[in-house]
Amino acid sequence: MEGKSKLFLTRRNLVGAIACTALLPSSLGASKAAQRVAVLDWAIAETLFALGEPPIALVAASDWNRFVVEPRLPAGTADIGVQQEVNFELLAALHPDLILTSPFSQDQEPALARIAPVRRFTVFEPTSTPLDRPRTLTRELGAMVGAERQAEALIAYTDAQLAACRTRLARLRLPPVLLVGFLDARHVRAYGGVGLYQNVLDTLGLQNAWTKPTNAWGFATTGIEGLATGKDVRLVAFQPVPPDALPTLAQSPLWRELPFVKAGHMSILPPVLMFGALPAALRFARLLTTELERVAG
Amino acid sequence: MTSGKEKFGPALLALILALIAGGLVIAVIHDPLMAFLRTPSSAEGYDADRMVFVYATLPRLAIAALCGAGLAGAGAIMQFVLRNPLASPTTLGVEAGARVALAIATVAAPGLLGFGRDLVAISGSAITTGLVFLLVRRRGFEPVATVIAGLIVGLFCGALAALLGLVEARQMTAVFLWGSGSLSQQGWSPFVGLALRLGLVSLALLPLLRSLAVLQLGDEGARGLGLSVARLRFVAIAIASIMTGFVVSMVGVIGFVGLVAPALARLAGARRLGAQLGWSILLGALMLLITDAAVQLFAGQYSEFLPTGAVTAVLGSPLLLLLIRRMKPSAPPAIAPPPNWSDSPAPRTPVVLMGLGLLVVVALLVGRGPAGDWSLPFGAWGAVAVWRLPRILASGAAGALLALSGVVLQRLTRNELASPEVLGVSAGALLAVALSLLLFGEIGVAGDAMTAVGGGMVVLLLILALGRRSGFAPDHMLLAGIAVSALADALVGVLTAVGDPRSMRLLGWMSGSVAGVSLEAAVLTMLAASVALIAALVLRRWLELLRLGPEAARGLGVNLTRARLSLLLLAALTSTAAMPILGPVTFIGLVAPHIVMTLGLRKLRSVLFAAAGTGAAIMIGADWLARTVSFPLQLPTGLVAALLGAPALMLLLNRRARS
Repeated sequence: MEGKSKLFLTRRNLVGAIACTALLPSSLGASKAAQRVAVLDWAIAETLFALGEPPIALVAASDWNRFVVEPRLPAGTADIGVQQEVNFELLAALHPDLILTSPFSQDQEPALARIAPVRRFTVFEPTSTPLDRPRTLTRELGAMVGAERQAEALIAYTDAQLAACRTRLARLRLPPVLLVGFLDARHVRAYGGVGLYQNVLDTLGLQNAWTKPTNAWGFATTGIEGLATGKDVRLVAFQPVPPDALPTLAQSPLWRELPFVKAGHMSILPPVLMFGALPAALRFARLLTTELERVAG
Repeated sequence: MTSGKEKFGPALLALILALIAGGLVIAVIHDPLMAFLRTPSSAEGYDADRMVFVYATLPRLAIAALCGAGLAGAGAIMQFVLRNPLASPTTLGVEAGARVALAIATVAAPGLLGFGRDLVAISGSAITTGLVFLLVRRRGFEPVATVIAGLIVGLFCGALAALLGLVEARQMTAVFLWGSGSLSQQGWSPFVGLALRLGLVSLALLPLLRSLAVLQLGDEGARGLGLSVARLRFVAIAIASIMTGFVVSMVGVIGFVGLVAPALARLAGARRLGAQLGWSILLGALMLLITDAAVQLFAGQYSEFLPTGAVTAVLGSPLLLLLIRRMKPSAPPAIAPPPNWSDSPAPRTPVVLMGLGLLVVVALLVGRGPAGDWSLPFGAWGAVAVWRLPRILASGAAGALLALSGVVLQRLTRNELASPEVLGVSAGALLAVALSLLLFGEIGVAGDAMTAVGGGMVVLLLILALGRRSGFAPDHMLLAGIAVSALADALVGVLTAVGDPRSMRLLGWMSGSVAGVSLEAAVLTMLAASVALIAALVLRRWLELLRLGPEAARGLGVNLTRARLSLLLLAALTSTAAMPILGPVTFIGLVAPHIVMTLGLRKLRSVLFAAAGTGAAIMIGADWLARTVSFPLQLPTGLVAALLGAPALMLLLNRRARS
């Protein structure tokens, strides 16, 4: 995923430069000058918010509150357009010290480098240990902005919270959960594999009812019939659900007769950032735990 | 044709397809059917396999056959009525209209979809069909022109959908899924509903059949029998479009069944209207059944979702190539002969160039500040030099390149609808970028640009190889391009339908983003534009003579093959040079030459200069709009140009038609 050749050199220099600047303020103690950071990836942005180092500019900022929900975006955060079409002129006028990208926005890097140093972070990477990548990302970002202690604190806090959720859930006798996002009245995305949601399920000790393969990003597109199972499962769907999906499905015998539909074992959760980091993982864990406790009575 | 072939040819073909379909269907349903028969229906409890078999597998097979029949019927009507072997819901842009209407509704008024997906889809179909007709009505629905107009409208819809996809990325997966046609079913009610609708519409068609059959005698013959040919055509096409709209609103876009099934029926020997319609419907049903059963069988072993509609398009577009090879090259009417050959006295070219200069100054100076305010960059000259100058130079130069390519192509093919987009070189580039993304993953911006140019060149070589037999007959060249475009569109459909994050990069590349272009790239593009202009000026004698028609040109001592080959290469190279900057679809190659023609310029030298200037001006204007109109949101320049260009083209053609 990482670009080699020309970028390699500049990145290496950059890392060195950043390491130096990162050392400086931390050696000066509390009087560290806040860096003006612009971010082209939401997972990076939410981690920076959690580290107490909010970015000054963000792509698709106007959509943030609809799809990430928490933390609410501070009013002063500048919207620099969508990920594939960044408003360079505006970004340049904001004079950022540093621009953070992910592989999803690497096409923009040559132009971004004209504004400020660019650093790319991997936000999505299949690993054997659940939530390994978000943890690494948190540490990397913490080291970059000179907030190593906050980074460790965030990881420890998230781990503790996740462990607490796990204990709460362990008391309940829970069926496997089927995590989906409705695409229309006939298709869903089922989440599993190597995705963030699966990572959280693993951490919470929950079983995923979706056992079929997923793509490299941790989801599978399937017709509703792909969800048919006689086993006892709970369907957990993320908002937004298209307005015609559930009314249309109510007319489908296949849907109506599904055991989890018949028994009403269905939950709808608010949106959670799918390609997110630790904050998204924690948000999902909390929402899911609260919901599962609620329905367990 | 012997009457024996008429009787047995289609039947034999249908029998073969039925056997294949039967085999595949048995392979799909064998296991669940056995299980179904073993278990008594009164068995206690929930049986997942049984439910899936009864309410998903079986209705899916049924709706596949029904949709295939409906689309093939619509295609057969269109081909018969327009006397155009290449007409179909796909090639006339009917499906594209339905798709983009559904996309707009998803973003702007999702409530509308719950209310009536059918209505939304049919309105979209009606609009695009109307546009295609507007484009070709004064050319008597001549086959090649009609298909090119359909392609233009289809590309426009594609550009609109791509723009929505970029801006509303998080809502658009469903729309892309819809655009690739999935036949997945969860009950029998969609099948029953669609069967009823298609049945009712077919009933409306029945009383028309007799009159339509008379059309086979030719317009004159039909008129002699006291029929209003135009009204008959209109009603029949409306019915075919409504049928398409019903199918698309139910399962999404299933490309090319409506083109291929009637073509096969005709090739097998079906001649009369009744026979063509009947056999087309049967063959269409079988073809979609075969495709979908095969998709179900093979997709089971592959973790990624495979939409059937994209598969039919991938299979169908090469068939279009085969059909083209069988077509006799027609001689399309020349570009309307100019009223007076002398150049108009007013110095129009300098006016164009001065306008261009003024536009550059305005685009450089007027922008929007961080707060969204309109501002002149006093004290912010850095922004002008670093950001605005390269993008203005690059988009202007790329616009000039495309305009020159358009002038050359239109003169060469004597077809006013020819453009770089239609040539297939852009689609080849897109195809290559999509494939490399699918197979090799990320290869960086420079890698993408190289892949694009390489893909364009490969397609160009293929098209040239295909065209050798016909001596590079312009019609064949254009239609081959359309087949490649359809193939590229289908592949992009597969990538976007599953919502793969990489598809966003593909959309970004397709959309023609010039915002971050470097000054070096801009200067290189300007150099390319200058070279292209000089080359066109050098070759202008050929361009002038070819315009008179092949016989006249040959009479005047032109080596037709060599002239056509050189000009084709010039057009292709010129548009390829612009592609890394503006993406594959802009319509500038169409719009700029038409504007120049309405200016009254006739002398080729002035035409070339003015077209380059106009192309550059339009692109710079489009780029300025892309930068300012929805600030801070930036739009991709290539798509903005396409969205402005297509309606402008309609207006221009319509005005000329009236005058």
